[in-house]
Amino acid sequence: MSHYKATKVVIITEKLILAKVTKLIEAAGATGYTITPAGGMGSRGVRSTNRAAVIDEFSNVKIEVITGDKQAANRIADEVAEQFFENYSGITYLEEVEILRPHKF
Amino acid sequence: MRDRTQGRRNRITMDLLIDFLSRLLTQFQSPSLAFLIGGIALAAAGSKLQIPDAIYKFCVFMLLMRIGLEGGMEIRDANLGEMLLPAAIAVVLGCAIVIVGRYTLAALPGVRTEDGIATAGLFGAVSASTLAAAIVMLEEQDVFYEAWVPALYPFMDIPALIVAILLANIHLARQKGGERERVRPAAIIAESLRGSALSALLLGLVLGLLTRPERVFEGFYDPLFRGFLSILMLTMGIEAWNRLNELRRVAHWYVVYSAIAPLAHGLIAFGLGYIAHVLTGFSPGGVILLAVIAGSSSDISGPPTLRAAIPSANPSAYIGSSTSVGTPVAIAVGIPLYIALAEAVFGL
Repeated sequence: MSHYKATKVVIITEKLILAKVTKLIEAAGATGYTITPAGGMGSRGVRSTNRAAVIDEFSNVKIEVITGDKQAANRIADEVAEQFFENYSGITYLEEVEILRPHKF
Repeated sequence: MRDRTQGRRNRITMDLLIDFLSRLLTQFQSPSLAFLIGGIALAAAGSKLQIPDAIYKFCVFMLLMRIGLEGGMEIRDANLGEMLLPAAIAVVLGCAIVIVGRYTLAALPGVRTEDGIATAGLFGAVSASTLAAAIVMLEEQDVFYEAWVPALYPFMDIPALIVAILLANIHLARQKGGERERVRPAAIIAESLRGSALSALLLGLVLGLLTRPERVFEGFYDPLFRGFLSILMLTMGIEAWNRLNELRRVAHWYVVYSAIAPLAHGLIAFGLGYIAHVLTGFSPGGVILLAVIAGSSSDISGPPTLRAAIPSANPSAYIGSSTSVGTPVAIAVGIPLYIALAEAVFGL
């Protein structure tokens, strides 16, 4: 099977704004994304993955989007940073990945 | 002659005070408080004990469903006209706490106005866990309260959050000099009602009112209520300690505000409740619960609502204030204080 180049956008941010971020991703033309719980340390403190988060919405999530369209990937990363990261905690980065079935992306 | 009267009066005051203090001391032995303080102590000692997220959420659901069901079943025969004055007091208090708190906090050094508004908003809003702890303590001592009193919760919670968001938008618009964003109270009300705590409470009320849930109530919710409350209290204690680190990074005035505000709010509500007692026969237990509701600060549903609506406010400031200081003070000092006060005032 041949491999194809694609771009993965990773966004780690607060669960509170998850719905807004996924809407933005869909609007940019991506066909799917994966969400996993996230924890760790950053400029706004430590987030745990398994301690009882009394406020669930403040726990963190990691959203991964893979798209064959580099422009769309850039757009997602830029828009998320611009719209949310002034007030909400989060980071975003791009990775080059190889995918198997290009029609899926 | 006058000296003797004076002396007697002093002695009576002393007796009252000693009586009050000994009652206060008994209240501290309540298991709910013990679990809260135990949680704080464990977390302070660096214990690895963790309460899983799902269990914590289930505890909150259990408590509110139980409170709702019982309220609903008893409201069937209640005269809801009696609820009008206490509900009006709840609305007025919810708004007043936020407005007074906003200007108090903003006047303190090192407090950003948005952070102060959000903090005042949480202290105006209501904590389900504090309410549940108070209900258990009243039941342990067979203090009667009207079944609809827990339903006063949204009457204070929602107006407080709306006022906080409104004040924040006015402040931010003034700062930017532009048009202020329109506040849509309907959206905030919907968001609050959809929160996990209020949804469970309201569903319980409706089910209790319209269906016959006596058997599931007596066989499941009621007997398990206290056990789940103890787990919830333990979690709140652990959370209080863990959030303290965040509070250390903001102005110390938040600590002062969050230690004084719950008691000040509770005592004002107690006074207003007393007026309702005189005017409409509001029960002493109801007065205590009204004081507890006013003295509590939201720790579950309020923070995300404010975080979404006032994103520029620093959550470390308002959540730290409410969870680390406000809630422990409201539960450990406030509830015993109001019960002891009611015993002194109403002679329970």
